[in-house]
Amino acid sequence: MTDDHGASAERTRLAWRRTGLSAAAVGLLAARPAFSPDAGAVRWLTAAGAMAGWTALVALAYRRTRGLRARPPLPGRRAVLAYALITVGLAALGGVVVMLQSSP
Amino acid sequence: MTKYAPCGHTFLTPTVNNQRVSGGLSQWFNPESQPTVGRTPDYRFSLANERTFLAWIRTGLALIAGGLACAQFLPPLPIRHLREVIAVALLVLGAVVALRAVDHWARTERAMRLGQELPGSKFPAILAIIVATGALLLVVAVLIRAVKSP
Repeated sequence: MTDDHGASAERTRLAWRRTGLSAAAVGLLAARPAFSPDAGAVRWLTAAGAMAGWTALVALAYRRTRGLRARPPLPGRRAVLAYALITVGLAALGGVVVMLQSSP
Repeated sequence: MTKYAPCGHTFLTPTVNNQRVSGGLSQWFNPESQPTVGRTPDYRFSLANERTFLAWIRTGLALIAGGLACAQFLPPLPIRHLREVIAVALLVLGAVVALRAVDHWARTERAMRLGQELPGSKFPAILAIIVATGALLLVVAVLIRAVKSP
């Protein structure tokens, strides 16, 4: 096995970061209705949930990039599974946001 | 397990068990203590698999963001609740993409550990057809609107 001097680990670290940026867009869009003047407690709760989900994703990515720093990089099974499940959770939360949006 | 070849050299055979790569609740919380199938592949292949997973997750996140943007930025459409239907369809599609991403990641990881062919998938083609159909429907809707309005 030839050593790639951490290039693939760095590409993977950057991929985690890009994914975190995409998650930021989702989190902000899900939190946006809470900033309307007539936002109720439910909208604030969904916004808090979206922010919590986004924070969890960023924390997971941070943890994973620390594992990538090892030589050879540690396997990221738990991070991968948790990331996908939180993404599904964000989609479900988005469904609630859309439903709240449609009922003024 | 260790076996001895007739010529006297020691070699290792991959120990195979029936645990899936992402199987069982206990593995979610303590994955490193659980045995996995086969042998650890070259870490560069595992990392490439992980990046493919992340690319799919980004696709899913983009679909989710698109659904949320539809609900918040589209004006009310002529057909009742059409806006919400489009938004929820995009959200569901995003969730399916995320679930399929982790499933495909696990199956690829397993295949690499066992030294098998990587799993093929019809999913990219299906997703492409769904997205293209949606885009075509929107084009038709825009054209009808343009013709109707003077």
